[in-house]
Amino acid sequence: MTGNWLIELTGIVLTALLAFTVGMFYGGLRRKVIARAQNRVGPPVYQNFLDLLKLQGKTTNVTHGLMTHLAPVWVLVAAITALLFIPVLHGGLWFPNFTFKGDLIFLLYLMVMGSLGMALGVGETGNPNGAIGVSRGLSLITGYEIPFVLSLVAIMIQFHTTSLTDLMHYQQATGHWIARENPFAFLAALFSVLGMFHYSPFDIIGAPAELASGPMSEFGGKYLGSLMTGGSIFAFVKLVLITDLFLGGAGHPDAYTGAAGVLLGLVELVIKTFLLYMIPVSIGIVMPRFRTEQAVRFFWRWPLLFGALGIIWAVFWK
Amino acid sequence: MGIIYVLGILIIGALAAFFVDDLNRKWTGPVAMLAGFGAAAAFAFLPGGIVRWRILGFSMHWETDALAGFFAWIVLGLSALALMYSVKYMEGKARQGYFYASFLTSVAGMFGVAVSKDLLSFFIFWEIMTWTSFLLAIYNAYYGVETKGIKYIIFSAIGAYAMLTAIVLALGQYHSLEFSDLMAAGAFRFSSGNWYIPVLLLLGFAVKAAVLPLHVWAPAVYPKTPMSFTAVFSGAMSKMGILGMLLILTGIFRSATGWELTLVRWVLGWLGGLTAAWATLQAIRQNDAKDLLAWSSVAQLGYIVTAVSTGTRLGLMAALYLALLHAAFKGSLFMVAGAVEKQAGTTDFRRISGLIKRMPWTFLTALIAIISLAGIPPLGGFVGKWLLYESLISETHAYFLVILIFFASTSAFLYSYRFLFGLFLGQEEEEAKQITEVSWWMLIPMLALSAVSVVTGMYPGLIFRPAARALESIGLPAGQWDMSILSNVWGNQTDVFTVGSTVGILFVLWALFITFKGKKNTRWLTTKEISTSGEIPAPEDNFTFQRGFFQPFERAVGRLYRSSMDQLWEDIGAALEAFFGFIRKIYTGNAQTYAMYVIIFVVLLILFRNYIF
Repeated sequence: MTGNWLIELTGIVLTALLAFTVGMFYGGLRRKVIARAQNRVGPPVYQNFLDLLKLQGKTTNVTHGLMTHLAPVWVLVAAITALLFIPVLHGGLWFPNFTFKGDLIFLLYLMVMGSLGMALGVGETGNPNGAIGVSRGLSLITGYEIPFVLSLVAIMIQFHTTSLTDLMHYQQATGHWIARENPFAFLAALFSVLGMFHYSPFDIIGAPAELASGPMSEFGGKYLGSLMTGGSIFAFVKLVLITDLFLGGAGHPDAYTGAAGVLLGLVELVIKTFLLYMIPVSIGIVMPRFRTEQAVRFFWRWPLLFGALGIIWAVFWK
Repeated sequence: MGIIYVLGILIIGALAAFFVDDLNRKWTGPVAMLAGFGAAAAFAFLPGGIVRWRILGFSMHWETDALAGFFAWIVLGLSALALMYSVKYMEGKARQGYFYASFLTSVAGMFGVAVSKDLLSFFIFWEIMTWTSFLLAIYNAYYGVETKGIKYIIFSAIGAYAMLTAIVLALGQYHSLEFSDLMAAGAFRFSSGNWYIPVLLLLGFAVKAAVLPLHVWAPAVYPKTPMSFTAVFSGAMSKMGILGMLLILTGIFRSATGWELTLVRWVLGWLGGLTAAWATLQAIRQNDAKDLLAWSSVAQLGYIVTAVSTGTRLGLMAALYLALLHAAFKGSLFMVAGAVEKQAGTTDFRRISGLIKRMPWTFLTALIAIISLAGIPPLGGFVGKWLLYESLISETHAYFLVILIFFASTSAFLYSYRFLFGLFLGQEEEEAKQITEVSWWMLIPMLALSAVSVVTGMYPGLIFRPAARALESIGLPAGQWDMSILSNVWGNQTDVFTVGSTVGILFVLWALFITFKGKKNTRWLTTKEISTSGEIPAPEDNFTFQRGFFQPFERAVGRLYRSSMDQLWEDIGAALEAFFGFIRKIYTGNAQTYAMYVIIFVVLLILFRNYIF
């Protein structure tokens, strides 16, 4: 946070816009990819934008109470706040925002804020399907967070820092990705990403055929629109976080300078996050849905083991 | 002389409440409340000073140093608010004189424990606090509630005997009971040769702090006690165990290295972690708000015990910070449970739901307290969690312990949500329509305690500074603490002020947007107008999902849920009963057998005389 506040504010708005655009396009791409895999034509890539426009344009909106009314706000605020504390490009050239003001432990907790706010709103609607979805979602969190924390603790102790910026510096300076320096931690984190995205086989929360889209079922119009915006930004946040942590981040303060440099950095970021995103998407295409207890137990087995190996690796590293 | 005034006000208040109750029941509560606030005011405005006196050859030493002050504030602040809450909460209940006299005496006991600087007065106050709290724990027996007070008193007695044994042994070995003398002589070190003295004392403290496996009394007793006292019971009294641990372990922490510190970190740290994880799993399956909170208290104390066990700068700060924060948010949560109990008649999740519109202020308190408990930024609870994790990762390198703690606090989201959902969300019952918000006498203490979580979320330094002085007063390094920037030993920082203001600004902006966009066409429906396959619930239908709420999670955890710590103690009890049943057979009632015992004893004496004398 140096310099003029106007520039910072512009940076924040630009970062949010970037995350929103990329996140929405990824959502559209996912629909397209799934459609092609199922031998359908599928909607156009920009379909999510059209959906959003339609939702925001709805004249009648219904809500069930204050918590329900504010639920999409929590989701959006959590997503944008998390975005501001994650370095989007390396080196503080652009979009530094608040990256020096929060560390990984903080991010870990911030990332559940949206889900919990959403859960409260869903609870107030009185829809039993929503509450079942929340119960499943919270159970799932206890599943995938544990391997994720194991992998984070592993890299924290390996590099003696809890700061995301420091970890990026290390990867840029040495040219070694942390995915290479601690493969087990990377593996555990990848498994957690599968859970974080709630795609098949972990799509138990919204499970269309069982719960009538669960938590989402009472949201429509501007509320669903805000949820969609928040969800898209949050998807981008998760991808950037993993890229920064394990895949070296994007952009380089020396190699890319000026506007062209930023553009190149963004291209690098888009390529990396897209490839990362395709992992949960493509697994989702071929896998059927788990039951809740199977999903939770899945994370407590192999991913947990990889995480523990990651910690042991980190202790004996060097 | 402040100490004498505070104790005096509390004791006189207790007596006054007891006798006023006979004159006019209406005034019992207000008199007790006045005594509570009077004691807090006396402590705030009068210099604490030092009190020394001798009785029966023992010297007593009370002093309000920074550490005593920190814990005294937890006790007096929370108690004064709880007494204010109590005025309306206990309205119409029987035996109020008994209730308030015990309450105030108990507060006096806790205050005494905090200011005691010698083991004897520490023990005397400790017992005053235990016995009066036992009287309060069995208060509801008058209303035919099965209070399980016996569990509490048995475990407390075990702790008390352990402490008394330690005190006698310490007196025999060191000829003084002053903490400072004992500390200087190394009485609290495991390496001193008298390792049993600190172990026995820690056992006594562990009972009060409800550490696994001595915790079984807490979840049984907390829900059955009147909620206005449970707030203090869980919020302040359990912290006396933490204070005791700090006092005993200081000597070991100061040495900074060595096997003793490693031992403390491993044994106490893991016990704390296991307590947290176990109690969290139990809290998740509870169907009553009060039971849930009781288990949650045990879990939170587990974090604090782990934090104490680190003995490092961040860890000890986490312990003190969480001790105060837990008093604030758990105090207000028990008050919420009491408010719901008073208005709705029950706190069973399966019987009530959808109180948010009936009791909005109570819900607000519950929401703030729960967010703080779950450790979600930007409220105060997050800071405590952050300190604890960072200390375990970067200072004591307890990597797998941190995972256990993290598992506990992630699972805590489940019961946190259940508490809010069970009482306040979901579809409204028809009968719940006449439920109203509680009186402001009850709301103000609840909101005041919530304010602690909100303020410390952005300015945790308000607690860091007195806590740092408290640690320095017992000779532990506390270092510099910023008002709102947290930093670990690697120099990584989290600025909670930036976090808080970012979240706040974004929240307000988006809340305004979503409220004013299409405001005219936004319809606010009831909880019965939902989309359930085109079926509209009839007025008497309630579709709220409450039974077996976390069944999938319970299935995932599986086998762990089948074991119970109570079973362990019952087995131990049965084994002891069998053992003593056997011993009893010695007393046959036959004079000849007794004569034989005497002869056997004499023979044994003669045989082993060289070894015994």
